[in-house]
Amino acid sequence: MVEQANAAPNGGIAVEARDLVRRFGARVAVDGVTLRVEPGEAFGLLGANGAGKTTFIRLVTGYLLPSAGSVRVDGLSPALAARAVHARIGYVAETSRLYPELRVRGFLRFVGGARGLAGEALDAALADALERFELLAVAGRLVGNLSKGYQQRVSLAQAFLHDPPLVIVDEPTAGLDPLQQAEVRDVLASLRGRRTLLLCTHDLAEARALTSRVAILSRGRLVACGPTAEVLGAGDPLALFRESAREAS
Amino acid sequence: MIPLRALVRKELASLFGSPLAYLTLTGVALVTALIFFDHLRVYNQILFLYSSTSLGGFDADAIPDFVNLRDQVFLPVMETLGLTLIGLVPLVTMRVFAEERARQTDELLQTTLLSPTEIVLGKFAATFVFVALLLLASFVYPAASILRAGLGLEHLAAVYLGLFVLGLALASIGLACSALTASQLVAAVSAYAVAFVFYDFSWATTFTGETLGPLLDALSLHPRFGRFSEGVVRVADLVYFAGYAVVAFAVARLSLEQARVR
Repeated sequence: MVEQANAAPNGGIAVEARDLVRRFGARVAVDGVTLRVEPGEAFGLLGANGAGKTTFIRLVTGYLLPSAGSVRVDGLSPALAARAVHARIGYVAETSRLYPELRVRGFLRFVGGARGLAGEALDAALADALERFELLAVAGRLVGNLSKGYQQRVSLAQAFLHDPPLVIVDEPTAGLDPLQQAEVRDVLASLRGRRTLLLCTHDLAEARALTSRVAILSRGRLVACGPTAEVLGAGDPLALFRESAREAS
Repeated sequence: MIPLRALVRKELASLFGSPLAYLTLTGVALVTALIFFDHLRVYNQILFLYSSTSLGGFDADAIPDFVNLRDQVFLPVMETLGLTLIGLVPLVTMRVFAEERARQTDELLQTTLLSPTEIVLGKFAATFVFVALLLLASFVYPAASILRAGLGLEHLAAVYLGLFVLGLALASIGLACSALTASQLVAAVSAYAVAFVFYDFSWATTFTGETLGPLLDALSLHPRFGRFSEGVVRVADLVYFAGYAVVAFAVARLSLEQARVR
């Protein structure tokens, strides 16, 4: 069975980064980022394309190892305790990381199994995911034949199969039509307080609607962090991005 | 074990989700049938020539020893089947790691409970199962010939064990090549190159002299596979073929680790 997380009473677990650095050759993608996401919090990570948001998330999931500094998920290092950390994480990557040749049910069954679910627990999780993400009608279809909106639903569904206390979502509404965007936001909004949500986006409206605190990254550096209303409350959002880019340079 | 089992199932489902698996299986069955019947036809002609008397009768005593089903049909068919595996196995292995990398689904895999070792193990296991299925598709004709020739089940088992370990070695080469690139084309071409070079070093031994020659010969796949065809099973040969899997496993495992620190 899936290892149990030390979930806080309000649901969710903490994520903490200290002086986190990630280099790709000479390029610094994440440059000395220190921040803490509280248990049960909906936290937004903002920044223009190439700001280092996805790299930061990949360091949290353990897909990449830090060049310097540290990251902790529920007090555990993704580099040293990858399995325990992965048991606590549901991850929706930027573009749908799906297997187009598999059927929706088969794909979700595989991910559930890969997350340690089996037998009745897997069947129950599968039935719940298909219903919650309204995938029952397409459960027998090939993932590759689904619309982008449905593919994103499948992507979200796989992240919730093992009921993780931390959900990391990278650009969840990119490329979706307004209706699909609203559906995805409704799903994410329903998580509030029950899980920790780390939302990575460059859509300021999305961040305002879904998060209670945000951090802004620019060229890998943390240039702002605080309550969403405070950080994004005043002024022209585009000017904020331009400003942060200037500060970073 | 649950995540590993799920991965093996997924790998097989992915494989059979593309036409490549069916084409490869059909290819092996067709090639084996064609080669078998062609050799059988030639064998019958030779048999007829040797056994015909001047009066149009049949003289079994006139057939020399080397004209037998084993040497004229069975061994050449096995030899060609080995070469067929070189041609087909890289088509199966090229996608195993490279496709994951190109689609970036490796990120999904590596954020589940599967450890990098389990990911490599699962992919190797599924590929090896497919190699076994490839051999199953080729089973009927050589089995018929060897049983008809009275060579016994032991010989049949030895030959198929040889083909299986040869298939595993070729699959291991292909998997290692696939683990080092995101391009399926590069994976396939490099697997062909390595497999053909390692299949038989005898061409090189004439240039390399007495020191390097025997070493290269010992590294060749073909002579060791040939012993299985003759019904000889040696532990040293089994260890040699297993060595390919071990080295390829280490290469694939290392490539996953490298991707995290690149």
